[in-house]
Amino acid sequence: MTGYIIRRIVSLIPTILGVTIVIFMLVRLIPGDPAVAMLGEHAAQDNVERIREQLGLNRPVFLDREALGRGDVGSFFDSQYARYLTRLFQGDMGNSIHRRIPIADELKRRFPATIELAFLSMLFAIVVGLPVGILSAARHNSPLDNISMILSLVGVSMPIFWLGLMEIMLFAVFLKWLPVGGRLDHAIQVETITNLIVLDSLLTGNWTAMWDALKHLAMPALALGTIPTAIIARMTRASMLDVLQSDYIRTAHAKGLREIVVLYRHALKNAFLPIITTIGIQMGHLLAGAVLTETIFAWPGIGKWGLYDAIVGRDYPIVQGATLLIALVIVFINLLVDLSYAFLDPRIHYE
Amino acid sequence: MTEKNLNDADVIIGRKHRSLWGDAWQRLISSNTARLGLVIVAIFVISAVFAHFFWEYDPRIDLDYSLKLKPPNLSPTEEIPSIHPFGTDKLGRDIFRRVVHGGWNSMRVGLVAVGISLLIGGMLGLLAGFYESMPVGRVGLVFLFALVGLGLGLFPAWLADQTFQAVLFAALGAVSVLAEPPRKAGAIPQVNRRRVLIFAGVGLVLGGGPALLVSPYTAIGCGLSGLIIGGILALPLGGVFISSIIMRVMDIILAFPAYLLAIAILAFLGPGLDRAMIAIGFVGIPIYARLVRSTVLSLTQEAYVLASQATGAGHARILFRHILPNTLSPVIVQATMGLASAIIWAGALGFLGLGAIPPEPEWGAMLGDSYRFLTSGAWWAVLFPGLAIMLSVLGFNLLGDGLRDALDPRLTR
Repeated sequence: MTGYIIRRIVSLIPTILGVTIVIFMLVRLIPGDPAVAMLGEHAAQDNVERIREQLGLNRPVFLDREALGRGDVGSFFDSQYARYLTRLFQGDMGNSIHRRIPIADELKRRFPATIELAFLSMLFAIVVGLPVGILSAARHNSPLDNISMILSLVGVSMPIFWLGLMEIMLFAVFLKWLPVGGRLDHAIQVETITNLIVLDSLLTGNWTAMWDALKHLAMPALALGTIPTAIIARMTRASMLDVLQSDYIRTAHAKGLREIVVLYRHALKNAFLPIITTIGIQMGHLLAGAVLTETIFAWPGIGKWGLYDAIVGRDYPIVQGATLLIALVIVFINLLVDLSYAFLDPRIHYE
Repeated sequence: MTEKNLNDADVIIGRKHRSLWGDAWQRLISSNTARLGLVIVAIFVISAVFAHFFWEYDPRIDLDYSLKLKPPNLSPTEEIPSIHPFGTDKLGRDIFRRVVHGGWNSMRVGLVAVGISLLIGGMLGLLAGFYESMPVGRVGLVFLFALVGLGLGLFPAWLADQTFQAVLFAALGAVSVLAEPPRKAGAIPQVNRRRVLIFAGVGLVLGGGPALLVSPYTAIGCGLSGLIIGGILALPLGGVFISSIIMRVMDIILAFPAYLLAIAILAFLGPGLDRAMIAIGFVGIPIYARLVRSTVLSLTQEAYVLASQATGAGHARILFRHILPNTLSPVIVQATMGLASAIIWAGALGFLGLGAIPPEPEWGAMLGDSYRFLTSGAWWAVLFPGLAIMLSVLGFNLLGDGLRDALDPRLTR
């Protein structure tokens, strides 16, 4: 098992390298010069050149063929990409072009916000979606099954940015129960330990802050959690329907076991593999796809900042850093899902 | 006895003949949810088409500040003399009118985007699936090796800034096939060490030789890459190679967050509805490629395909007569669902300001325009465009679900 884990982690290295190469090409294909974006359209040419040199943008992207022609093998490999990789291995993700602050620091501040939101959304999706799916399968073709499946189809069809806006309308504007956006009220201070506000306030026993943070989380988590809820419910139902037809379930019923035991202890265990796969895939989507939810709720995560603002503003290092982080986390989740198979189903062995 | 047989025959003859598609249609409209989906889709399609052709609307001159952000009214009042069932937006435009006209844009984006993904993804999937399980003919092999040579040869060609080097390697690829005796069907191709060495040597000369004109260091770089390319071209590559190249590229596209990809494409092309179609279509390519490939892979193992091969049918005949028609039903189901998600995508990109350009009516862009007025109570400007997105998407999803049940009778429980 340990050997398998190590081999899996090693095999991730080329994937991650591939991701950095593609993202490097992608951001450089986008027209527009970061130096010009920084200085404005009417900047003097030599100023632009100086900035380009400072940022290393005057170097070729991958390899310098002219240096090779001169016989300068050292500069042949001295490209933007090589510099980026070297710095990355030293733990330096570069500075934001516009705001000149280290991206690693910014990621440390913003990523917990994304994690917190994604985690709570997924918690909601599992807590609601799983029982609904199990019940629908147990009462196959009953009104409950039909209603929950229609609702889940509505959930899949929901443009979540619109759902978020509707929540704001209802809970923040009309009922005034919840705040419109942000992570925490400005008046409340929390000692930062992990930057996950709910966890930090729990650790320091700051209950007002925890309550406020949860109130801020409620609407975005509900909006972001809708689609995973619907998908998990559908997947659970389909997988449970398959398992419930097998002989051992009939035997369990015949033994006179209570239905809840049959469903949760006998059936769910075998139905769980496709469900955990779905949960893993959806978790990746939550981490990467929160661009719109973050926009609507002014959520200070990495989605809008790293994937939208940075691309539109030609802030290459931010796009690279944020994408690399997201890719790493997704790859890591996939690994966890694969490993959980062996844990959930003893018949699966990894050599 | 005879009487009974006669009756059976009567029943069989008397039963109205139904084609495969007629049968599927019957199953489709016998399902409540599919009927509901069909009705929703029909309403949206008909209203959008009707509005586009018969209800003139020029978004560039639609502006009336005196009617700014008025709530819905169904009868004229003194203050608001005109009827606005969905209210008006921040420029005093009638939201109902813009929602109906926005439907045309959303459907258009959906159709074109799905068309792009389907055409490119489907073709790639067809190629990958077909050549993974069918032997590649000699002409096909020449073509494949020339292409691989050309592709790999681009690197030394770029390094030495001599375009013709890529052509040299393409020729080397073609020669590699022609110099080899025709492969026996079914035999597992073996790596021939001597052949690899010879071709690596030729590659070294082809890469390094012309590059000597540039500089000795460049010649070393080009020679080394030529050596590797020559070696690769001597390997017995076949259909699995084509397939794995295609599918790895698809995997790379899928590995990226779809939002990042779509936003990056739109940053590259610039905002606009037509560009949004391309971006959404591109992001969808791998889905269809994977779907079609897996369908084709299972189809090539079917008895009728093997029989057709045994009777000596050519690749084109097998592909177009036997395989293509049978990939249609999963593709139709996926495309219907794809239309739904393309409409959501169009809305999302429009909301971010990357889709439709402002005065143009599009549901997502309308939401992006007015969501800032939500806190001041203008709920109607946000409710109706979003409702239009949700209902149309729901319609296509219901229809897709129904189609899946109707087109695959084996699935019905």
